Amino acid sequence: MPDVHSLVNECVTKLKKRKVEGSKATAKLTAELLRSFISQQRLPHSNQAGSLIDAVKAVGEKLIAANPVELAVGNVVRRVLHIIREEDLSLTTAAVGGLSLAAESDDEDDTEHDDHPVLSATAVAAAARNALRPPSLQTLLEDIPHSVAAPHTSSSGGDSEGKSKSADKNSVTRKLKHNVIEAVNELIQEISTCHEQIAEQAVEHIHHNEVILTLGSSRTVMEFLCAAKEKKRSFRVFVAEGAPRYQGHALAKELAARGLQTTVITDSAVFAMISRVNMVIVGAHAVMANGGVIAPVGLNMVALAAQRHAVPFVVLAGVHKLCPLYPHNPEVLLNELKSPSELLDFGEFSDCLDFGSGTGSPLLHVVNPAFDYVPPNLVSLFITDTGGHNPSYMYRLIADYYSADDLVVRGKSTS
Amino acid sequence: MWYRSASFILDKQQQQQQQNDTVTNPESRPLSPASTAMAAENPNANISMYYQTRAAHHGVVTNDWLAQAQAAVGGNTDDSVSDNYVSGGEEENKRYSVVDEFNNWRKQPELAEAVAAIRALASVIRSSQATTMMELEIELKKASDALKSWDTTSISLTAGCDLFMRYVTRTSALEYEDFNSAKSRLLERAEKFGEISYKARRIIAMLSQDFIFDGCTILVHGFSRVVLEVLRTAAQNKKLFRVFCTEGRPDRTGLRLSNELAKLDVPVKLLIDSAVAYSMDEVDMVFVGADGVVESGGIINMMGTYQIALVAKSMNKPVYVAAESYKFARLYPLDQKDMVPALRPIDFGVPIPSKVEVETSARDYTPPQYLTLLFTDLGVLTPSVVSDELIQLYL
Repeated sequence: MPDVHSLVNECVTKLKKRKVEGSKATAKLTAELLRSFISQQRLPHSNQAGSLIDAVKAVGEKLIAANPVELAVGNVVRRVLHIIREEDLSLTTAAVGGLSLAAESDDEDDTEHDDHPVLSATAVAAAARNALRPPSLQTLLEDIPHSVAAPHTSSSGGDSEGKSKSADKNSVTRKLKHNVIEAVNELIQEISTCHEQIAEQAVEHIHHNEVILTLGSSRTVMEFLCAAKEKKRSFRVFVAEGAPRYQGHALAKELAARGLQTTVITDSAVFAMISRVNMVIVGAHAVMANGGVIAPVGLNMVALAAQRHAVPFVVLAGVHKLCPLYPHNPEVLLNELKSPSELLDFGEFSDCLDFGSGTGSPLLHVVNPAFDYVPPNLVSLFITDTGGHNPSYMYRLIADYYSADDLVVRGKSTS
Repeated sequence: MWYRSASFILDKQQQQQQQNDTVTNPESRPLSPASTAMAAENPNANISMYYQTRAAHHGVVTNDWLAQAQAAVGGNTDDSVSDNYVSGGEEENKRYSVVDEFNNWRKQPELAEAVAAIRALASVIRSSQATTMMELEIELKKASDALKSWDTTSISLTAGCDLFMRYVTRTSALEYEDFNSAKSRLLERAEKFGEISYKARRIIAMLSQDFIFDGCTILVHGFSRVVLEVLRTAAQNKKLFRVFCTEGRPDRTGLRLSNELAKLDVPVKLLIDSAVAYSMDEVDMVFVGADGVVESGGIINMMGTYQIALVAKSMNKPVYVAAESYKFARLYPLDQKDMVPALRPIDFGVPIPSKVEVETSARDYTPPQYLTLLFTDLGVLTPSVVSDELIQLYL
């Protein structure tokens, strides 16, 4: 479908050129793109889920490659893949349940079924459910191969009563796509409303006469603080300005406009002020599988200061920021280096930054990383749409939202 | 002196004989199990069969070993052995055969203990005369208890037996209406489990590749086949790294490991156990295997692991554990002494006066807060995931 391909390419370019930035925007973009992609996808008769998964993987690979540091893209792709697997699973268990009932009533069918091991529908369902869950101790030994489930359905499909069964199958096909698209719609809804869901929990965490510290500007944090203010909590906020982009200034202005007592401090003053603070609340760019956080630069320092003074370090993160990968060398591999012009003025420093002197490399280097890695032992609490969690609990959410097979998104090469 | 058995099967029969006779004569039986020999030196010795038989895999030949080997071949007559077989009752024969079968499997150096146990239990199923699932279960339970009692200190053995028994009693295995097909299915799964052991090591090696980066220094303690596989795969992927091996007294695990690594052309440096803190600065990560992974997410491993984890934690170095999933055990040690003691004799090279006590425990418990990640065939896990996995299985 040329239409879909052009859509995909357009999104890829947007991501590459950083026209769309920020986890929420990119997540939404990816989800909507995948929705239109799936709705326009024509599925073959058999193994629709498999072909759909392959197609989505191919598109997903392109999207992820466009901006590898934007982990939200990969997260959404994996969520969609997990959705497809889940919907397929629920459809097959419903189908198997229905067909086995029909089979029992008909003598002709029984002879066909004698070829296969006598399995009750519940066993097959349980096996298929296990296939979806990440490998665990119980699935180690249990491994009923998926092929057992397939011949069961296909043998009953090849009946003389084939017509009614194939009609069922057609509706199954359409159902899969329909269900998947419904689920993706729910996902988009979830991404859009993550701020509200998190802000609802603000009242439980912020109490009277508290002093909150934050760094830079995060929309989630702002909504969180404003929600607490709405519920008539009175508290003060220290905002560290978040060099070099100084987004903390904008946040401070917003908060003051809403009637909150705000103080602006430099990043270097955080350690000096942290002993006067009750709680640190920050947003995140991404949350990794071990509970570590990819956060705007400067937050590792704040986390260390908070630990030193036993101040709770609370991270607000929507579920679409949850990434099933483990960070190895995140300071380098999951970081983006922004332009040095944010730090230094080219006019003044042009002679130091000149490539033409002596060795051919400038004497003055400027490093402007966009992100910081905060290890899990420094984080006290994660507040997500689903509630507050320990960093060591993150793996559970990941197991709920992602499948183990999708960790590496690589489309099948067309031979 | 610590007596190593020349052949552990003979040795085991020796032990059997000893249990039957009341009179023991240490001089005429140079091959007497180390328990009696050690009893002379160390009153509270209770050498675990595990470490005794593992000696057979060591391949380090000493003079006294040779002497015992000769004595074993010459001293022990086959008559007494066969007598034992004949005199043993039905039950004893059964028990004998399970443990024998187990030992037979264990002879393969690549095979893990738990897998050998499961294979032995599979042979019980194969040779069983039971006609109902209940009967089969009871037989298996007896065999599993026999295996566990043969060596009470080995955690992976217990865990493997428990895992298999758990699988047998789960309802999904009983979904089959026909007993024979259920039995054949159990057999098939048990046989396949052996492949899982080898596959598990490959999976773990694959998962850990990303964590080994070029130019890193890895500290390794103890001789774990899983860790060796990890390093082997990394070397095959042309990663540049070097390894620090602790000597691993008194097992000399470091020497064996450095042998293996030298074959792979990996730069190796041997450290005495006390030099760990001294060299921890240069180390980027610590890699250990595990005898068992306990419910809290901590591990039980060769003596010295806890020490190294403490040093690593204080210097902010990650500690990675490579362990297969069937090593997850339902134990929750609260401190170092809270486990079944596994003692092994230590040869200091010089005679020790009898008044001097020796700490002979062979393993220690490392609490989960000192571990960074566990690499298992179920994936990369943080220590807190372990209890979750166990709950899923046993509830």
